[in-house]
Amino acid sequence: MIKLENVTKVYKGDSVALRDATLDIGKGEFVFLVGASGSGKSTFIRLLNREEVPEHGKIFVAGKDIAHLGAWKVPYLRRNIGYIFQDFKLLPNKTVSENVAFALEVIGKPRHVIKKQVPAILELVGLTQKMNNRPSELSGGEQQRVSIARAFVNRPLILLADEPTGNLDPQTSVGIMKLLDRINRTGTTVVMATHDRGIVDTMRRRVIELDRGLIVRDQARGVYE
Amino acid sequence: MAISPLYALRETSINLWRNILLTTATIITIGVSLLMFGAFFLFDYAVANATQRWEGGIEFVVWMNPEATPEQNANILDAITTSPEIRDYEFVDQDAAYEEFKDIFSDTPELVEVVTPEVMPPSYRVVPVDPNADVVEELAGQFQGRPGVKTVVSANDTIRGIQDLADRAGLFLFIGSFVLLGAATLLILTNIVSAIRNRAREIEIMKVVGATNWFIRIPFMLEGVAQAMVGALMAWGGLWGFDRYVIEEFSDPDGLELLAGFQVSDNEFFTTSVLVLGIAIVVSIVGSLVAVTRYLDA
Ligand SMILES: Nc1ncnc2c1ncn2[C@@H]1O[C@H](COP(=O)(O)OP(=O)(O)OP(=O)(O)O)[C@@H](O)[C@H]1O
Ligand SMILES: [Mg+2]
Repeated sequence: MIKLENVTKVYKGDSVALRDATLDIGKGEFVFLVGASGSGKSTFIRLLNREEVPEHGKIFVAGKDIAHLGAWKVPYLRRNIGYIFQDFKLLPNKTVSENVAFALEVIGKPRHVIKKQVPAILELVGLTQKMNNRPSELSGGEQQRVSIARAFVNRPLILLADEPTGNLDPQTSVGIMKLLDRINRTGTTVVMATHDRGIVDTMRRRVIELDRGLIVRDQARGVYE
Repeated sequence: MAISPLYALRETSINLWRNILLTTATIITIGVSLLMFGAFFLFDYAVANATQRWEGGIEFVVWMNPEATPEQNANILDAITTSPEIRDYEFVDQDAAYEEFKDIFSDTPELVEVVTPEVMPPSYRVVPVDPNADVVEELAGQFQGRPGVKTVVSANDTIRGIQDLADRAGLFLFIGSFVLLGAATLLILTNIVSAIRNRAREIEIMKVVGATNWFIRIPFMLEGVAQAMVGALMAWGGLWGFDRYVIEEFSDPDGLELLAGFQVSDNEFFTTSVLVLGIAIVVSIVGSLVAVTRYLDA
């Protein structure tokens, strides 16, 4: 599903965020990205979404080399990739269901599809009761569920999450992880950057550790360190 | 994948409403600049229509009787061609005179209908060597009352004055409208940039979920075009008033004989309207395109 071949990303000012990374992530895998602050986790995720372009190497997503993708094709790549932010990034003046519907509206999905898919996904994340509330009326965990619903409503092949539990307390985080686990079990590949030792250690999934841009560990059913 | 018109309309009106003060200022600026621009054209048309026969240095016109004999005509022509004081002349025959008449009075087809080329007087339009008013008067007088001549009319200082004034007023309108159009373009740009800033998060989400560039851009661009359209509509109303209450007042039949023909035909008004609309579209597309390409595409 995802394949990196000798990928190097250098930012202006010579900070190397990813060094000669080569790896393979299969369909339906759940991968944790760990490492100290500044080790390159976010950069890794942004490369997969084509928010960043590598200086060297090839990145294949669903069989296409996205490092050399024409700019106009990028939106179509992103329709296959869900993205979850640490700070949710919900639109404050839209309700829960409008926030989710927005993701479908702006890629031109017809109304009847939106009407069917939005309630279904809200059911999946357990927010049917709150569909007409605004984000400010929700707890942090609930807001993150909305953001997951928005990322997943178009049934992407891949879900990218950059510290999705970073702003949540441990108990709420467990709930979010259960949800991501359920989504992963539908066959969706999940790549998640995290600092949360507890989560990584209980889930026991593949762990990739970065250190100053270098992949220093790649462990199946791994732990935080 | 097409952008839904409903979506575009909703987003555009939200953007416009959120910035209602700036939107109003933009619309007014566009309206006034287009009004000036259009007024320049109408004015120019009207002046050209009123002074049509005095172009190219022509200082007096010898009108012949439509029934003048060939000899009478030949005599006058001879006098004109042999005079050392005359530099150039132009003969306007009956057909050409009729065409000119139709042109000037295209607004009043009733008038055109009753006239035929046979009743139109042919004329010699004369350019003297020395354009000094006294010399011209003197020279023109030599043709007055000769056999076959109906009358001689000279362009006096008043007409030259009007042309001069019109030229300067026109230039002023023209430059002014360009300066204002520039300001209007900047206002459109500012308005869109501010809308883009207001919606930074929405735009970020749109990009992440895979909205195409055009899908993101179009509501913003429509915003610019909508403002220009409203401005153009305002300008159009103003131009209509200008034509109806200013230009047509001049050519009042009871008014100055000199100003007869100072009017704008429907065709010329239409051309001006299309021009104003076209400029509105060009200006708004340029302004919004600059805004979205400079401030939207990362
Ligand atoms: N846009 C950028 N421009 C320049 N340098 C950047 C940029 N983004 C990240 N970097 C640098 O690249 C390196 C990796 O950053 P990155 O954000 O990927 O780390 P991270 O592992 O996500 O850190 P954290 O755990 O704090 O989120 C850092 O040295 C950072 O300073
Ligand atoms: Mg990070």
